[in-house]
Amino acid sequence: MSSLQQAHLKPMPMPDADSAELWKGLKEGKLFLQHCQDCNHIQYYHQAICRECLGENLVEKEASGRGLVYSYSVVYRAPGPAFKDDTPYAVVLVELEEGPRMISSMVDVAAEDVGFDMKVEMVVEPVNDEISLPRFRPISR
Amino acid sequence: MDTKTIRGKAAIIGAGISPLGKVPGKSPLWLAAQATKEALADAGLVKGDIDGILSGHSFASPFHRFSIALSEYIGITPTFANNYQVSGATAATMFNTAAAALECGLAKNILIVGGDSMLSGLNPELAMRAMTESRDQQYEMPFGIPAANTFAMTAHRHMKDYGTTPEQLAKVAVIQRNNAIKTPGAQMTAPITIEDVLSSKMVTSPYHKLDCSLISDGGVAFIMTSADRAKDSKSKPLYILGGGECYTHEHLFLAPSIVSTGAVQSSKNAYKMAGVTPDDIDFAGVYDCFTGTVIMMLEDLGFCKKGEGGPFVEAGEIELGGKIPINTHGGLLSHCHPGIPGSLLHFYEAVKQLRGRANQQQVKGAELALVHSLGAGFATHATTIIGTDVTL
Repeated sequence: MSSLQQAHLKPMPMPDADSAELWKGLKEGKLFLQHCQDCNHIQYYHQAICRECLGENLVEKEASGRGLVYSYSVVYRAPGPAFKDDTPYAVVLVELEEGPRMISSMVDVAAEDVGFDMKVEMVVEPVNDEISLPRFRPISR
Repeated sequence: MDTKTIRGKAAIIGAGISPLGKVPGKSPLWLAAQATKEALADAGLVKGDIDGILSGHSFASPFHRFSIALSEYIGITPTFANNYQVSGATAATMFNTAAAALECGLAKNILIVGGDSMLSGLNPELAMRAMTESRDQQYEMPFGIPAANTFAMTAHRHMKDYGTTPEQLAKVAVIQRNNAIKTPGAQMTAPITIEDVLSSKMVTSPYHKLDCSLISDGGVAFIMTSADRAKDSKSKPLYILGGGECYTHEHLFLAPSIVSTGAVQSSKNAYKMAGVTPDDIDFAGVYDCFTGTVIMMLEDLGFCKKGEGGPFVEAGEIELGGKIPINTHGGLLSHCHPGIPGSLLHFYEAVKQLRGRANQQQVKGAELALVHSLGAGFATHATTIIGTDVTL
């Protein structure tokens, strides 16, 4: 468990042997999904084997970054002091065009205006030298 | 056909609780020890009779081996022990596993125990952060997901797909508050209305403050033994009739569905082993970290059809006299929620009901109870079915 001092800092992803490539791509503004060449399964997040067939014949392909809000929740009470200044913010479960879902949060929109099936696209938010977080904004037409 | 079963092989012969709610100045180990002393007295045993111990995690005293730390604290040297960690589902897994261990001779008398001081032993900001840290550091936590949020997103989608209303969610909180009011020692005892729930502060939509469970201190303990030894027990033995578990995902975004959960499979396995159906159950302890959780579980445990949980609650079916009275003590929402021991309190209430000692909250003629424990944004599920001797 973290100290009180640590609780004031936002948790940072620490890329590991499985996920290094994913975070490298995000740093360049690209969301990569893994496509299994043996069973055609498409997966988010990165790992060294296919979750379906356990094969290792995975190819990275850049995703469109577009999807729909499958579900969401607007956070008014922050999970600890690190997120207090951000409230209210909308956490979303996005279903990507390619199929996989991912958790993220919204930018460029009032939290209360987020809704089911909203069309969204990924934008990356650089947070330090190594990490850019994948976040989503409404697709404006 | 595989005929191996824990049905009727082991029994709960002792149950105990520590002071509950706000218990300042007492450690998780003390709370667990107090509950253990009461459970031993209830079973008519002494500490030296315990040769097995299973415990859950404590946030305020995060020992890697809570069961071993407690063994030292109360001066016992068990020959079977573990600390289980499947979040909120831990409680039921301990009963199911203890029954199997007793049947297979790994121990004679197993202590099932949990203790935590989430309210008094942790700074509130650290308590919030500690619960959040059970989410993944790479793909969930950076986005500021409260423990409540994964449950909120599932309930939200359930509302969209099935028309479940905020009022139906609120009704769960109101019913359980009414139960807590009638339970001595409950943490929350002021009456509330549906309006009160809906006008309480929004925490993470669709959940208002009163849709969320409490943060509490408390310890809970049980003694289990084999069915043979239970016959000579001081208390009325209550038999484990069936158990099931199901684990569908670690990350919410990889859940096969967020509106239908692993509780379907977990309870199906438990019903099959017990040889009973949802209609046979007299009392249910349903994990109630949030109001919407209860509505979804009523469906997945088979007490009503998928999507009908809201109207089922609205019709009063989970109250005393309804189709399936649940959480007659007030549950995590209004009685007490000290973390992992919280779901053990559903078992404590089931024991009271099956012993006929629930006083004004008694379900008449209760012989068969189901307890469902779950956790981690519906990632972990475990079900236990318990019955009196007439159900054997």
